[in-house]
Amino acid sequence: MRLALLILFCVVAVLLSLSIGALHIPLSDFIPALFGRGDEVHITIMQDLRAPRTLLALFIGAGLGASGAALQGYTRNPLADPGILGFSATAALGAVVALYFGHQNWITPAALAGAGLGAGLLLAMVGRRQGATVLILAGVGIGALATSLTGLLMNFAPNPWALSEIVYWLMGSLRNANFDAAVLCGGLTTVGLVCLFLTGADLRTLSLGEDTARSLGVSLGKVRFLLVIGVALCVGAGVAVAGAIGFVGLFVPHILRFLFGADAAKLIPLSALGGAGFLVLADSLTRVLSTNGTVLYLGILSALIGAPFFIWLAFKAGRS
Amino acid sequence: MSLIIKNLSAGYGKASVLQSINAAATPGELIGLVGPNGSGKSCLLKTIAGLIKPTNGKVSLNDQCVGALSPRARAKKIAWLAQDRSAAWALSVSELVALGRAPYRGRLGQLSVSDKMAIDVALISAHCTDLQNRSFDALSGGEQARVLLARALVVGAPLLLADEPTASLDPYYQISIMRTLQNEAQSGKTVITSLHDLSLARQFCDCIWVMQNGRLVADDAPDKALSEAILADVFRIKSENGQTVSVQKPKKT
Repeated sequence: MRLALLILFCVVAVLLSLSIGALHIPLSDFIPALFGRGDEVHITIMQDLRAPRTLLALFIGAGLGASGAALQGYTRNPLADPGILGFSATAALGAVVALYFGHQNWITPAALAGAGLGAGLLLAMVGRRQGATVLILAGVGIGALATSLTGLLMNFAPNPWALSEIVYWLMGSLRNANFDAAVLCGGLTTVGLVCLFLTGADLRTLSLGEDTARSLGVSLGKVRFLLVIGVALCVGAGVAVAGAIGFVGLFVPHILRFLFGADAAKLIPLSALGGAGFLVLADSLTRVLSTNGTVLYLGILSALIGAPFFIWLAFKAGRS
Repeated sequence: MSLIIKNLSAGYGKASVLQSINAAATPGELIGLVGPNGSGKSCLLKTIAGLIKPTNGKVSLNDQCVGALSPRARAKKIAWLAQDRSAAWALSVSELVALGRAPYRGRLGQLSVSDKMAIDVALISAHCTDLQNRSFDALSGGEQARVLLARALVVGAPLLLADEPTASLDPYYQISIMRTLQNEAQSGKTVITSLHDLSLARQFCDCIWVMQNGRLVADDAPDKALSEAILADVFRIKSENGQTVSVQKPKKT
């Protein structure tokens, strides 16, 4: 029943996202237009703008939600989030380097390289034997370094135009969605999601601690490797296309854990579904709220919803 | 399953703890591992379980070196019960006990009929069938200890290692846990449990291993292993007018 409601939520979010835009297209027209039937303008709007944008929001949300659930399972801490390992920050740094030099076309490979570099650096620093605490500390350190380097680049931006590009890009948006970006992001996120799904059974066993999990045959090195690769792909692909979007990975798994229980093997796919639905809905909301030439950025809206939730969570954890 | 520990040395990181331990255990035996805090009991149990790599020597089960087994194969042969009783999330008792079937479950994690049977048997053996639908978080310390013991029993391993399973429990739960361990040994398993309560060790164990500063200083029947000389030398206690008093002498290093 709850699963059916979650699926229904995603379907409604997708239909809303497809129906919202500057031009009103009635429900009876937009589904045929998606498949290339009907009015030319409708077809162009659906196939070139709304469908890629909705697909991207689905993939990015799924990647962020699953990454959050997997990281929370690994660290056994409900406050963990993809941002915490520094991948969002290193991916953003990569993209900002491209923007700094004025190469818009390099944003995607640069963001992916940034996420990959962050992941590689983290694995090299932490090695195969260290526990979750060292991984988190190293991730926070790498993230802080990447954020300060991003700040440095903004500080020395060659011209105001490059600076404003960087600032707007960092706010996170799906404005520039297109079909190629959806295919690239979808492909990378799918591989990342498979890596994360594969860690589910081991993460479930990890709820009794690392030593007990190892005594039950869990290889922590393998779990960590799959986790880092999976999170780097999901977050890197998302940042490459849409900029920095935070907090989805934090509160989506938390709410779903409350509804469906804490079994990581189930929670990771459920969080992918929930994250996808949430981001599609949030992106639709940014379009509804962006009027008269003022654009509300998805990254800002997501953080505005997520940050108070984070504070409430920390407050609750402090009191218990 | 016969356990043989040969010339075993191990430690945490670079700090060496165990020094040249030699011991053996046979099926049907309940062994009490005793010693002062920091004597190396937990380290020995973890090393036998394959969680700590020996720096020297080896642990073998039926002539097979534990270090050479794959993690899954090892998990099916050796069950290890941690001293720590915390669980990260609010799991139900049946979910938590089912975690012990991890070495048998596939990628999709469905429980097979034999997994479910093993869970039922473990819940009965650890006397917690009535708790199975409750949340682990909401249980008392004694109930949690029994549930975690069921989690270790459900593995169905021929060697069971329990790290202070009776710590901070009231006498009722201490006896209940020790009885369960005794039953497991009598059913043909090899059971090694570390204990701080020497009277429990004396009452339930077939054999006592006494540790001091990383060395095994006695390996004998309870009466001999817990002799007055050992109590005074290792535990720094003695019996005086029917009361246990401390022996005033500097701790050996």
